[in-house]
This record gives sequence, C-alpha cells and structure tokens, in this order.
Amino acid sequence: MVAFIILAVLLVTAGVGVITLRQPVHAALSLVAGILALAAIYVTLEAHFLAAIQVIVYAGAVMVLFLFVIMLLNVGRTRAASLKWLKPAAWVTGALSLAAVVTVVFVVQQPLPEFAVIDAALRGGNADAVGDALFTDHLLSFHLVGVLLLVGIVGAVALVQQTVPARRTRQGVAQQEPQDAPELVAAGEGN
Amino acid sequence: MVQTEYYVALSAILFALGGIGVLTRRSAIMLFLSIELMLNAANLAIIAYARQWSAVGAQHALDGQAAAFIVLAIAAAEVAVGLGILVAIFRNRVSTDVDELSEVRL
Repeated sequence: MVAFIILAVLLVTAGVGVITLRQPVHAALSLVAGILALAAIYVTLEAHFLAAIQVIVYAGAVMVLFLFVIMLLNVGRTRAASLKWLKPAAWVTGALSLAAVVTVVFVVQQPLPEFAVIDAALRGGNADAVGDALFTDHLLSFHLVGVLLLVGIVGAVALVQQTVPARRTRQGVAQQEPQDAPELVAAGEGN
Repeated sequence: MVQTEYYVALSAILFALGGIGVLTRRSAIMLFLSIELMLNAANLAIIAYARQWSAVGAQHALDGQAAAFIVLAIAAAEVAVGLGILVAIFRNRVSTDVDELSEVRL
C-alpha cells in the first residue's frame, strides 16, 4: 500500500504537470516521469512484461519522437484560450466524471482473490505468459496490429516525405551550375 | 495487496487529467500529450481488471494484458501518424494552434 501511494502521488503529480506546464518540452518530460511511475505500478499488478514494454516503447520510442517533433517545430508559448469559460468548464467536467467513476467503482467493490490464485493465473505476467495469450487466443488481433503498424509507418513517411523531390531538383540544378552549388545546398538543408 | 478499486480510481484521475488537458490546451502537441495520458489511464484500468479477472480462472486471465499490449502498439502507430500530420500542417502554416485550423471542416 505504501509503494502504491508513493507511485500514485508521483503519477498524479506528473499528470498535472503534463496539462499545466507551459513549455511543451517540460510537459513531455513530465509525461516521461509519469510513464516511468506507471511502469512501476504495472510491476505491482503482476504485469512485468508490460512494464518493460512501457519503458522501452513509451519512454524510449514514443517520447523521443515527441521531443524530436517539439524541437523540430520549435513551438513556443501559446496564447490564452479565446473562450473564457472553456478552462473552468473543462476542470468541472473532469472533476465530475472523476467523481462518477470513483463512486461507481467503490460502490460495487469486489474482493481480490488470494495471491496464490493470481500468481497461478497470471504467471507473473512475463513474456512467456503474455506471448502465450497473444499467439493463441489473440492471434488475429496481433496480426491486425501488425498491419496497422505497417500502415502507420507508410502513412507517416508519406506525410513527411513530400519535399524530397523538390530537393532533388535543386541538387540537379546545383550540379549543372557548380559555382552556385554551396549556397543552394545550404539553402536546401535550411528547410 | 492493494484492492483493484484504488487502481481504477487512479486510472480515473489520470483519464480526467488527460481530458482536461485536451479541452484546455490549444497547441496540437499538447493535445497529443494529453491523449497519451488518457491511453495510459485506459491501459492501467485494463491491467488492474486483468488481475481481478484471475479469480474467474487461469483460462482467460491474461486476456487483459494481451489487450493492453495491443493498445500500446496502437498508441505508437497513432503517435507516428499524428505527429506526421502535425509536421505537414506546420509546413503549410507556421502554427500548431488547433483554433487556427478551424476551417478544416466537413
């Protein structure tokens, strides 16, 4: 319980940081802290493989992509919202939905099974156990997610790639006129 | 062991924080960060209920963790495509403010 409270406080603090910090880089780093705390919480829930994946995929890959885009776009501070009532309304909506969920959850409380039962059923949630479930009962979902990731990769490349042909023609021009070549290449890299 | 209800309450707190972030922030990148928070909250609830579900039997106890794994993969794909769209928008109009993209309508 003590470990849970410490991790929960860390997680909520990081979550508040994500939505209140002004600089996007600070918010992204706050999300990294929250993701690491969440990985520790997964360990307390007997999901060891998912905890490792959480650190590798989220803190490793996704957040690096986020920081890369934030620094690429160089987004500064944003102006205040045009709708004055939006911010308090958002906080009230969040508080109400939170209260509703917490009430429902604690009204229909269910006893937790014994640790031996959980351990036997989840098998520590390691790669062996999760892989067993993924490659037998959830094989179709696994394949579909693979296709989705492939489509995502192709889509992301297609969205970002558009300037490459233009740069090629510039370099072609640069090869025809060797005197202007350094300037044009530098201009192309500036974009 | 900590009861499942506390984990689900924590998940609800995270989800509400993510929702508040989506409603209040205006930079598209901050919206994506808030959506990541909400996806993580959903994953936490799924994994907490997977542990609770093991009382029913070992047959389908790991279904929740498999589902959380798939949610994680989908979140990664969503971030890749979303940030690609963001870069494409930023190229045309040097801004990621979602209020200034209001003419993108059906």
